[in-house]
Amino acid sequence: MSSPRSLDGAEPECEPGHCVTCADEAIEMLVLATDGSGLASCVDPEGVPVEVMTELVGEVVPGDAVLVHAGAAIARAA
Amino acid sequence: MRFVDEFRDAELGRILASEIVATVEPGRHYKVMEVCGGHTHTIYKYGVDDLLPENVELVHGPGCPVCVIPMGRVDDGIAIAARDEVILTCFGDMMRIPGGSGCFLEAKAAGADIRMVYSPLDALRIARENPDREIVFYAVGFETTAPSTALTLKRAKGDGIANFTVFSNHVTIVPPLRALLESPDLRLDGFIGPGHVSTVVGARPFEFIPADYGKPIVVSGFEPLDLLQSVHMVLKQLAEGRCEVENQYRRVVPYDGNPAALSVLAEVFELRPHFEWRGLGFISHSGLKLSRDYADFDAEVRFDVPGVRVADPKACQCGEVLKGVIKPWECKVFGTACTPERPIGTCMVSSEGACAAYYNYGRFAREREVV
Repeated sequence: MSSPRSLDGAEPECEPGHCVTCADEAIEMLVLATDGSGLASCVDPEGVPVEVMTELVGEVVPGDAVLVHAGAAIARAA
Repeated sequence: MRFVDEFRDAELGRILASEIVATVEPGRHYKVMEVCGGHTHTIYKYGVDDLLPENVELVHGPGCPVCVIPMGRVDDGIAIAARDEVILTCFGDMMRIPGGSGCFLEAKAAGADIRMVYSPLDALRIARENPDREIVFYAVGFETTAPSTALTLKRAKGDGIANFTVFSNHVTIVPPLRALLESPDLRLDGFIGPGHVSTVVGARPFEFIPADYGKPIVVSGFEPLDLLQSVHMVLKQLAEGRCEVENQYRRVVPYDGNPAALSVLAEVFELRPHFEWRGLGFISHSGLKLSRDYADFDAEVRFDVPGVRVADPKACQCGEVLKGVIKPWECKVFGTACTPERPIGTCMVSSEGACAAYYNYGRFAREREVV
């Protein structure tokens, strides 16, 4: 098999040691705003804005911290 | 992020390491499996194994959902992506997973419209923006990831998005663990349980491990001190003759999981009779397909796929690595014919894969040992 990276160097890839797909890694994010329909605007630890589904953790308000995996909050951060 | 500094404190790490030394019996060899690929990475990134006594061996388990995707399922995705009307979306790590006829990145280079997304919600947005195309989300992941797919499908159904489907490769964690425990060539003393899968399913589903197999399991967080403490908790159970489920990651994991997540999973998915795992073969009731209520959103129903089983490459020993029977560097092609740039097996492709973890963090240290 030829080197996949040579085919399309611009393709975004996971950072080493961190897998978007990961079975089991959730990222703590801060809730900035909610829209009332189960979506929240959050920021990840690097300050990148992320749209997050929050149905699984109940009502959230700006300032809450949630653990986010693949666009869904799966738990409240302690 | 909160607690990060506290859970990476070197002095506390040394204290825990000395407690571990005081807990083990000299002369006894301990094998403890960390189920989750995220744990494997923490162990090598922070050198957690270097703090353990020589007679405590960490064995890397099957908890990387990308690593266990069989080649035939990759080929199915490529066949769907080859259709002119289809935009196939997937997480980044799927792009380089080898199938029998290449990987997604090669298919993309050959003209298929395959796009990387960070969440299934991104795929649904692409569907809204491209009403004349068919958007397929190639779903991969354990119970941590499946709720996100399920919530997205509920939104698609609620909003009547007709051009969105999911090709589900979601898998469940308990059946492969049971299969591993039934494996005659495996000798383990205990388990480090997956932390974020457990935020969804809870710690309770792991009770069969002590009850049926007499092994302790400790559900663990992902920082280095989480793992050191979890190893200590497993060894302490063994030293005290106890055998139970313990939850080291209580700051996040409820013992009974997340009921809302379990409810949405039950609504959107149902168990397949069996599902193939790379290196492990077919495992009963280990895969999730879309339920009847969501059949209209099932890519396997909407599109013809080859559905052909492709045997794993002979040189690749991913199966033995996934079962923890051999260490990655013991594979014949590790670091030579199989590297992250030119992977033969999936364990070398995914960031979560044990081989990639060894290659990225452990190989050079091992070479120094040999010298």
